[in-house]
Amino acid sequence: MYIHQYTCISPQQKDENVNLEHIVPSQDGKYLAQEPVLQGVPPGMVRRMSKSVRIGIGAGLPLIKDNKPNGIIIGTANGGMEDCIKFLNQIIDFEEGLLTPGSFVQGTPNAIAGQLSLITKNQNYNATHVHNGLSFENALLDAFMLIKDNPQTSYLLGGVDEISSYNYNIETLGGWYDTRLTNENLYMAQLPATIAGEGATMFMVSGVPHNAVARVSAIEFFHATDATYVQQRVADFLKQHDVALNETIFISGENGDVRALPFYEHCEAILDTSIPIIRFKHIVGEYPTAIAYGLWLACHMLQTQQPLPTHFYKRKGTDIPIKNFLLYNQYHGKQHSLMLVTG
Amino acid sequence: MGLITAVGDSAAANRHALINKQSGIGKATYVQSRFVDILPLAEVKHATEELAAQLNISQPGITRTDLLALYALQQAIADAALSEDLLQEKSTALVNACTVGGMCLTDIMYEDANRKDGKGSAYIHAYSNSANTTLLQQYYAIGGVINTFNTACSSSANAIMYGARLIQHGFAERAIVGGVDSLSKFTINGFNALMILSDAPCRPFDAHRKGLNLGEAAAFLVLEKEEAAKHKKAYAEIKGYGNSNDAFHPSSTSDTGDGPYLSMQRALITAGLKPADIDFINAHGTATENNDETESVAMIRLFEKPPAFASTKSFTGHTLGAAGAVEAVYSVLSLYHQEVYPSLNFEEPIPTTRLVPNREYQKQPLRHVMSNSFGFGGNCTSLIFSKL
Repeated sequence: MYIHQYTCISPQQKDENVNLEHIVPSQDGKYLAQEPVLQGVPPGMVRRMSKSVRIGIGAGLPLIKDNKPNGIIIGTANGGMEDCIKFLNQIIDFEEGLLTPGSFVQGTPNAIAGQLSLITKNQNYNATHVHNGLSFENALLDAFMLIKDNPQTSYLLGGVDEISSYNYNIETLGGWYDTRLTNENLYMAQLPATIAGEGATMFMVSGVPHNAVARVSAIEFFHATDATYVQQRVADFLKQHDVALNETIFISGENGDVRALPFYEHCEAILDTSIPIIRFKHIVGEYPTAIAYGLWLACHMLQTQQPLPTHFYKRKGTDIPIKNFLLYNQYHGKQHSLMLVTG
Repeated sequence: MGLITAVGDSAAANRHALINKQSGIGKATYVQSRFVDILPLAEVKHATEELAAQLNISQPGITRTDLLALYALQQAIADAALSEDLLQEKSTALVNACTVGGMCLTDIMYEDANRKDGKGSAYIHAYSNSANTTLLQQYYAIGGVINTFNTACSSSANAIMYGARLIQHGFAERAIVGGVDSLSKFTINGFNALMILSDAPCRPFDAHRKGLNLGEAAAFLVLEKEEAAKHKKAYAEIKGYGNSNDAFHPSSTSDTGDGPYLSMQRALITAGLKPADIDFINAHGTATENNDETESVAMIRLFEKPPAFASTKSFTGHTLGAAGAVEAVYSVLSLYHQEVYPSLNFEEPIPTTRLVPNREYQKQPLRHVMSNSFGFGGNCTSLIFSKL
């Protein structure tokens, strides 16, 4: 599967203009995505959209405005959670009184893919994967299989999640976030928590190699809670795909949470000690589809053929060609994914 | 196969109810809502505690959605005789679908979502659409691809399609596919705000239909490769699938029924069949003003003279994320027993389309059965099951 275009809306950028040297800092343990300017969408429609729909359309629409894909495939753990809970609050606060359905309809996770198809009048394949920390991975595998069936076809593939005040609240009660964490101390604070993030990352993918930015050659994901089991699966994956361990850049989903660290360290332990290790959650925060941003970074490096600014590197490593990448991410210590990307 | 619906706790019990025209729609006992007195619902006839006791589950933080899903999954695994070892292999996938998730606990979730300090409830990890999938995975330590779909009311039809494709592409040797949703104050109020809930048992495809009845259910099917299935009990084959987006409106289908037309047409193409090859359709047939007319328009566009069809939502209510899987099980039962099930409460056809659903149980030779599922966001999926 080849990536031809890639865009994102993140805490660092609202369009293709981004300066990765200069980091926009996190605030109060959160990293909010920048608000996109939605061109070609009626203002009345924008007003009714939840943030995940706004950033999803902001990132996705530029790729499909003039170029109709054979499908739209989105991974999102929560979709428009803010709207969803707004509706839930109305139910309880008004004791099941007369309600307007706007927030109920906007709050469904498939509203992002639905609105993208509605705005562009795209009646092709349309799917929304909501498997929490593996939502984007499942969306990617979906596109991967469709492209295997017919390499000439192209798909809009995206990962989108928003921080709603409510899911932030629920996740904080669940013990996942801590307001003492900042983009600066994230990897040093040694807390059992991370920074909440959000964003929308989109890719135009097809089976055509011509003019492609990157190729996703393999993906595997699974559930597990035991770091040794995870390490074995990673080792099997690397062996199965014949990965050159000394010529592959490692993009790690490390998120500062001390409980998650053993997974990343077990993974690093089977890689060559000379390779560069890149981290990115100090600039976008943690969210269920954050690995899509890791894939965006790999595309960015492959296109620019430049190393990233120093703050990204956990280990600088030796000066190897910017060609092969391994991405590993885990979510809540239960969900794990691996991806191989090449130039 | 495994399922639990308002009409029964197993495939056999469901078949018995379908044959005997025993609908599960009526006054709900367990779901908390002030609408239970005015809106009929299709509730599974067990209290949440009773389901937990039957499944021998005592850990805290388990929702009704979780329990319904586990109930149906256990049945499916036993029916397909999948061993513990096989379930733990990398080649066993679990593809679930859910739209309500832990939001069935509408009031408790309200408190947790708005709590400013202190500790959350025992359900803090149980609210997402995927929470029940994760529970099922942990229960059996399933080792392969794990996924949850939410494409509204077509969710579990897409889960079935994805599972079939995982096997076709070698990402799984076997896939357990299906969906679950339980009744909740959240969805009752949502659909009520859209003014598409009927205050009487629903009347699919009738001129005087007044809307849908919400229901709850869980259903799972075990898919295996043709070679593997040769030596085991097998019910039917998944022959084709089609997915489209109507791209018309967030919560209603276009007058021309483009989305439904395209999903049915694409299912025929992947199956390599002609419209005339379809012997029966398990229609989406929610009994809303909009769905039944546009689905009829789409069936007429594609088939000219549509084959016999019925909507089993007149038995189970609309079980949302579980509907595609429940109706897949019904389609498979139809093929396996060579029989068709009735649609209830129909009297007069819609004036513009004049289609009349099948109203009686009867034995009938069937080769190919189509099952339709359409949802909010324009998401449409059609599946075709064939006799072995």
